[in-house]
Amino acid sequence: MFVLSGSTFPILKGSELDYDALSAELRKLRENVAGVTDTVIAASDGIPIVADVAKNIDPAHISALAAADLGIARQAAEVIGLGTLSQTVVFGSEGYMAVYAIGRLSLMVVLGDKGLNLGRLLHETRPVIERVGVILSS
Amino acid sequence: MLLLSSGRIEEGDWTAALVESVETRSLQAALVARGIGVTELQGLVMAAMRDGAFATAVGEIERYVVDECIDPPLLPAARGVAPDLLLDWTARRLDAIAAFSLSPYRDCVVPAHEAEPAGLTAERREIVAHATGRRTARDMAFALGRGLHPVTVEIARMIADGLLEIAPPATSFRCSHWGLAALRPRTQAGPDFEISLRSSEV
Repeated sequence: MFVLSGSTFPILKGSELDYDALSAELRKLRENVAGVTDTVIAASDGIPIVADVAKNIDPAHISALAAADLGIARQAAEVIGLGTLSQTVVFGSEGYMAVYAIGRLSLMVVLGDKGLNLGRLLHETRPVIERVGVILSS
Repeated sequence: MLLLSSGRIEEGDWTAALVESVETRSLQAALVARGIGVTELQGLVMAAMRDGAFATAVGEIERYVVDECIDPPLLPAARGVAPDLLLDWTARRLDAIAAFSLSPYRDCVVPAHEAEPAGLTAERREIVAHATGRRTARDMAFALGRGLHPVTVEIARMIADGLLEIAPPATSFRCSHWGLAALRPRTQAGPDFEISLRSSEV
């Protein structure tokens, strides 16, 4: 039997993650970039932390997929020698899924429709990732 | 997009036409060879141009850049349109929707009634089905594969007819953390972080 002592993402009584600040960041991003439909912040192990999604979208499902997606992309970047992975984007005929690394321990998923201006999204998300990283680690 | 969403052309044919046009430098010729008439195509080009001008003008323009780009558009209007005429059309459309007080980029809409009212046209039923409370007129136009102007006008009329209403902020933005307990701040593990395997318990 494996015993893990000191999980990466333990629940700690007494500590307070600022969920309101995280929610405000997600809201601003959806308001500022036309075409953003859903957003999730999750731990890099695929456990959702906070989400703003439509009723038919399961944040746990999206988080797990995003964690796997980011893990593969990170592995590819490291093996090929592309340096530190910052983001990976899935292009579909009906829309996009962008996954951003927030340090090595968290991630942010942004789903967008086919009218999403991807350049605008990448431009807007850079400062958001920085702020979310600070909120998650403070 | 309008050609694809209306089913006027299959995705495979559209992709083939795009590939072919790289060599022949005419997407129009490639589409006409696939059975779409020149008049129909030019009608769509004009509608897309007018809708694009409306979509630009009705949103917020933060900054603009005038460049020397002379790349022709993929599907140009055969005779072009004078800027004054395009501005005039757009100004009239803006004046017309100003009366509705619906922001195509800001306001999300929801059905006003739980049960769908009888006698709706197919177009209105489709709009009701997409009115999740998280979609603006712009989002619905993309979801429906239609122009922004006709969708905005139809939604505004449906609000006036009592079929739709503007969603409250609590509906258009639903952030949840499922009441989870606070997590330890995300900091990189220090040297005391360890994963141990107690072989005796295997």
